[in-house]
Amino acid sequence: MNIVLVLIPLSLVLLAAGVSAFFWGVNHAQFDDLDTPALMPLAEDPPAPAPDRDDASPK
Amino acid sequence: MSAACFHCGEAIPHGVALDACVNGEAHAVCCIGCQAAAQWIATLGLADYYRLRSTPAGRAGAAVDFSAWDRAQLQRLYVRHAGNGSAEVCVLVEGLRCAACAWLIDRALRDLPGVRAVEVNPGARRVRIEWMPANMALSEMLGRIARLGYTPHPCNAQALDALDQRESRTALKRLIVAGLGMMQAMMFAVTLYAGAFEGIDPATRDFFRWIGLIVTTPVVIYAAQPFFAGAARELRARTLGMDTTIVLAITLIYVASLYETLRGGGEVYFDSASMFVFLLLGGRYLEMRARRHAADVVDALARLQPALAQRRSAAGAPETVGVHELEAGDIVVVAVGVAVPADGILLDEACEVDESLLTGESAARTRRRGETLIAGSVVRAGPVEMRVAHVGADTVLSSIMRLIERAQTRRPRAALLGDRIAARFVAGVLALTVLTAVAWLCFDPSRAFAAALAVLVVSCPCAFALSVPVAHLRAASALARIGVLMPGTDVLEKLARVDRVVFDKTGTLTRDRLELVGIDVIGARGADACLRIAAALELGSAHPLATAIRAAAPAGATIPRAEMLQTIAGAGIAGCIDGQRYRIGRTEFALGRAAPAATDDDAVVLADAHGALARLHLRETLRDEAAGAIAVLRAQGCKVAMLSGDSQARAAAVAERLGIDDFRARAKPDDKLRALEAWRACGDTVAMVGDGVNDAPVLAGADVAIALGGGTQLAQASADLVLASDRLDTIATARTLALTTLRVLRANLYWAIAYNLSGIPLAAFGLVPPWLAAIGMSASSLFVVLNSLRIAPPQASSPRAADAVPAFAEVLPA
Repeated sequence: MNIVLVLIPLSLVLLAAGVSAFFWGVNHAQFDDLDTPALMPLAEDPPAPAPDRDDASPK
Repeated sequence: MSAACFHCGEAIPHGVALDACVNGEAHAVCCIGCQAAAQWIATLGLADYYRLRSTPAGRAGAAVDFSAWDRAQLQRLYVRHAGNGSAEVCVLVEGLRCAACAWLIDRALRDLPGVRAVEVNPGARRVRIEWMPANMALSEMLGRIARLGYTPHPCNAQALDALDQRESRTALKRLIVAGLGMMQAMMFAVTLYAGAFEGIDPATRDFFRWIGLIVTTPVVIYAAQPFFAGAARELRARTLGMDTTIVLAITLIYVASLYETLRGGGEVYFDSASMFVFLLLGGRYLEMRARRHAADVVDALARLQPALAQRRSAAGAPETVGVHELEAGDIVVVAVGVAVPADGILLDEACEVDESLLTGESAARTRRRGETLIAGSVVRAGPVEMRVAHVGADTVLSSIMRLIERAQTRRPRAALLGDRIAARFVAGVLALTVLTAVAWLCFDPSRAFAAALAVLVVSCPCAFALSVPVAHLRAASALARIGVLMPGTDVLEKLARVDRVVFDKTGTLTRDRLELVGIDVIGARGADACLRIAAALELGSAHPLATAIRAAAPAGATIPRAEMLQTIAGAGIAGCIDGQRYRIGRTEFALGRAAPAATDDDAVVLADAHGALARLHLRETLRDEAAGAIAVLRAQGCKVAMLSGDSQARAAAVAERLGIDDFRARAKPDDKLRALEAWRACGDTVAMVGDGVNDAPVLAGADVAIALGGGTQLAQASADLVLASDRLDTIATARTLALTTLRVLRANLYWAIAYNLSGIPLAAFGLVPPWLAAIGMSASSLFVVLNSLRIAPPQASSPRAADAVPAFAEVLPA
């Protein structure tokens, strides 16, 4: 039974870690808008960067 | 028939052949504004918008000049400058409806030079832009948003927004702390219950109690803070409210358990304390979210009043100034389609204004020289000049705003059945607890504390705490499935008692368009020919009459081309077709002579140079389901009445077609409010159904305010129920559902009372062991949840109502 004395405090530490991670998320606007960000990656299609001529010069 | 516009989704009028080229394909659009918007979106490489969006865009307006927004005097009010040369502005965007719109605006602005950050919040319809004023003008950015088909309004509500955001973030944090704390506390409580059955080593038992104390402490100290704050407020106001009893229960349970933990005897009830906090917080969080969506009254009003005005300076040249710079006596020029900036006196001969703001009737009205123009009404034909009479808080618009506030504060906030009983019950339990403790102190002081605590725990208001929110959540989701949204929580009880339903006429019983019901041919030409001529004359007009006539033109017929079109405000249209002159409009205008005294408001005469050709009879289009909805309400025993700001003749015509005997015409918002009060004084519980801005104060004065989903935001903000499906027949269904909910709620409460009444005496005599208390508590909670599942929407709901729901998904609590 002694293992309980280790595991339960450990679970409390994990709980505290989970809560602080959630607080971080709330404070960093992760929960302010739950609809828009889902669409962002769908259409994210930035124009391909033009190849840089100088770098492509023969060695 | 006609197809829908590719950009805005509205029907394309007859005779319009415009195309927008998007991704190499031609799509039909309804107007030049939409065409420009669609093509501009395509050239920006943003055509994906059309694939992503969930609702069609608003109709794009004509190009607007935003250069006045670069004036320093105006920017001072709206733009905040940061130290490093960057500036920040908050823009309220009309027509911002879904996540795809947010994406579109974000893309369009982000690429501009000088723009540092763009934040779009589709929920609040706000865009926050941070940019370098040195590289980019504010007007340019506003212009970009406008070209996409939206209407931008810079606003200074930023501080309010930040406050809202902080509030909702804190609420979410508290909810999560309470939820996680509750789960842990219950898990450890199960160990203790099992230990009570099987026998447990006192050291292990104490260890689990200490762990329980550790997880419950943050719940009580952090998550339950709103209740402590509320109780402090109630204490200062010297009233005994729900918060006080909640705080007393939480504190007593917690302190007692803490005491037993330290002492190492008796029982601990950390699980009850944290569960209590979590359930109550959950209910409040859902309520807050639903409310936030509905209540943006300030926004809706801010949009009605323009921020800019064209003032004629002493030299005679017009200059653009902010509305706040206007003073009484200034002379202001108002262009077509622009809202009047302040109350004033008309200086021109005549003009046509849309005063739907005040009267709710969309038909334009004619104002003559010397008459008053009201701030917020829209000029239909112009430009006109006016002399400013009242500004700011003295305008009619401001007084409407005050009327709403007054009606809302005066409205009796009927406490919820559950809340009322629970508050009384908790007070009773506390008295009993004290009584038990005193009684035991007299007989056997050593057992006094344990017995008093047992009373408190057996009567744990779990079943109470659960019964109301569970029944409400169930009712709210059932209502949402038939397309009825419930922003508040205290409306069900009143809705079930409603015995008089009052309808607004325009926009509620009728659609805001006219239909052609008959044509009397007077001249030599046939009816079809007359209609073709009429349609040609009305082709360019946005007046409801014109729309009705165009819609009535024979399908497939070619509309001749009218030239030299001339619109005379409040009278009609004159034009030339194939060299012949025609006039259409009011009798006196069409025939070019004085009219007979009593003219039929809704008849339009078409005439050529020789005399009248035809008389067109128009009437308001009723909503398809209006008659059916009224019949069902009558069958349920409700009285039905109608209030209208329109003329006696039109109101009577609509009332007769729907079989309503009780109606009032020519009623201003004040009159409507008085009528409602009279009915309520007779003992009726009145539900008011409306849609317009002018209805908002009236809605606030009814027992149950119902707004249509297609109506203005302001009306929805002051409503208890919003018919998202825009169908009147859902009112009767919602009422039936409210009755069921109330029945279930009562059953739940009776059950909780019965359980507690049998448990408390036993506990008071010290006869309840912990395992029995645990089983009793879970059984009563389970019963309450299962019983609430009986609240369900009727099976045969119309498919259209179901379709309307996803768009409002963000406000659904379940």
